Amino acid sequence: MPKTTYDAIIIGAGHNGLTLGSYLARSGLEVLVLERRHEEGGGLCSEEVTQPGFVHNMHANYHTFVDMAPPVRDLDVRGHGIEYVRPEVQMASIFDDGQALTVHTDQAKTLASMARFNEEDAETFRRLYDEAHGFVDLLLGTLMYQPPMSVKELTKALATFGVEDRSEFLSVKLRRESINQFLDRHFTDPRIKAHLAFHGAVCSYTNDVKGLAIGYPLLVGKIDNWHLCLGGSHRLAHALWRDLAQHGGVMWSDAEVAKVLVDGNRAVGVRLSDGTEFEARKLVASTVSVEQTMLEFLDPGAIPEELAQDVKSKIQHKDWTLFSVHLAMDALPEYEAAAFDPDVDRAWVVNLGIDSPARLDADWEKIRRGQLVEPQPNAAVNSLYDPTDAPEGYYTGLLRQFAPFALADGGEGAWDEMGRWYGQKCIDAWRRYAPNLTDDHIVDWSVFTPHDIARKLPNMVRGDWMMGEISLDNMLDERPLPELGQYRTPVEGLYMAGSTQHPHGFITFGPGYNALQVIAEDLGIEKWWARI
Amino acid sequence: MPDVYTPDWYESVKEAINASVATLKDVPSDSFTIAVEIVGDGVSPYVADGKVLRFLIRLEGGQCAWYRELEEDDPSVKLDYRFTGPAAAFDAIAAAQADPIDAALSGTIKVRGDMRFLMRQAQMVQVLLEAYSKGVETTWPSGQPPYDGKGAS
Repeated sequence: MPKTTYDAIIIGAGHNGLTLGSYLARSGLEVLVLERRHEEGGGLCSEEVTQPGFVHNMHANYHTFVDMAPPVRDLDVRGHGIEYVRPEVQMASIFDDGQALTVHTDQAKTLASMARFNEEDAETFRRLYDEAHGFVDLLLGTLMYQPPMSVKELTKALATFGVEDRSEFLSVKLRRESINQFLDRHFTDPRIKAHLAFHGAVCSYTNDVKGLAIGYPLLVGKIDNWHLCLGGSHRLAHALWRDLAQHGGVMWSDAEVAKVLVDGNRAVGVRLSDGTEFEARKLVASTVSVEQTMLEFLDPGAIPEELAQDVKSKIQHKDWTLFSVHLAMDALPEYEAAAFDPDVDRAWVVNLGIDSPARLDADWEKIRRGQLVEPQPNAAVNSLYDPTDAPEGYYTGLLRQFAPFALADGGEGAWDEMGRWYGQKCIDAWRRYAPNLTDDHIVDWSVFTPHDIARKLPNMVRGDWMMGEISLDNMLDERPLPELGQYRTPVEGLYMAGSTQHPHGFITFGPGYNALQVIAEDLGIEKWWARI
Repeated sequence: MPDVYTPDWYESVKEAINASVATLKDVPSDSFTIAVEIVGDGVSPYVADGKVLRFLIRLEGGQCAWYRELEEDDPSVKLDYRFTGPAAAFDAIAAAQADPIDAALSGTIKVRGDMRFLMRQAQMVQVLLEAYSKGVETTWPSGQPPYDGKGAS
């Protein structure tokens, strides 16, 4: 008979659940991680959705916190077989006039590229980058990898330290500004601003949302830290699972949690949908959505009615999501803009045709109304830097288009009819910039719609790949609700440890790592990982 | 006036810190162990190039309870914070020619540890830094910063 009692039970084997599980297992706890799907990983999901041998990242493709996130070191993910590559040409924007801007790991090359558009803006970017790079460690230590402070506490500290007088770019005023306003204040050229706004959007910081300028300097501080996980992002999930297993932890797949068992006001275990029960001696941690955890897993009455109502009415999800096209190809894109800047052909991610923030703004407006926009996708060719993700002589491609979850005409279900048609339009858009990508060079392609996101990973409610809106009132200790902002819940021994929590989604490891700090304090676990 | 980085100087810094913090109304009762690592950078004449001056400082209720110099990094000591930076940067701060907050913000001096306390106790942190930077009249037997990049001026 399988073991049914553990110290800690973690719901969800995404990277946050596995991270938390590994730390706890390394701390000597008996850990069980339960996963609804057939495999671990959550958003770290790589599949052969076009042809055998072509590995496509269905969700997480960009790993931007490598060597910044403590778990990468503490859990020795590289020792478990992970190899990251940091592409030399990180990103590019190609504009309709055939010009292109490229961002490199070599700052001098980035500045030279920007200077072709506007020398003054390039110099401003240098100062912004240098300043942001200087304080990125402090920001990460303060904001990302600690249980959150409040915006009020942060702004008070910034004021006491006189940061506004010391910094050209950091200011308490940023909490009232959009990224557009920030860019307008510091930059002139619309194409440079478009690229910087696009960079924010790809990180889920929508450029027209008031208050998000507060996080923008941090994004700039890691603008050239985008890494690709060789062999597919799912390998990171394998590495974390190996670490968990090597330290005595257990991961069960195909194990859908139906209930969190509560005795008195204490979480004491879980029941699976097949009726199997597991007992938790010390804690249960959920890394899935707030709605599932609070409204489905817990019986009515387990949490205060007011909180239940807040979960129903106040949880904020992103008002746009992603439509993806995965391609198997036998040619690399040859961009016409290479005549202007040859490095675009080596750019990992290319932003196509967005030549001003106003263009993005117009798209957001339509998308929020549930309308499809004329595609201007961003295109990533992982095979440029990962020859293992496709057979020799072949390549993978990934087009991502900002899109609504529910279409105004037909709701989210309409994606099943529209997906292939819209995917073709995305490919056509790519082809306008890389005419060599004719049909005979595309071996196969497959779409992954916003509706698919929610069906595959129900915790990404409404296709919300950040598992919660990125906005000022859904940040820090307000995320996802003030009552849940410190990873604890009203049910003793039940914690929230997924991307619904601070800092947010993306492969940050932050929610799992930060929940660990709170759990360690509550259970008196020695923080062996806190090597100062 | 003590020479920089001598026992008398450390004692003077300790006294300056304790006197400054005593003027504060709300001082948290927490205790902290802090490592300061002053890395010889070939510019400061007070720390040989490549050598690291290491100090442990114990703060209790905002007061410096004790300090001691370490020959080597001691991983068995449980630290709350670690400050690491080039000697010329620390020299400039001790000479009140550079601002320690600027040094931290620019990344010149790296700060590791739970930043939330530093942020929440910003006023006390400022007083501590001010005392370190301006609370002691320091003598500079091998020359005073700013340096010309080739050694002491």
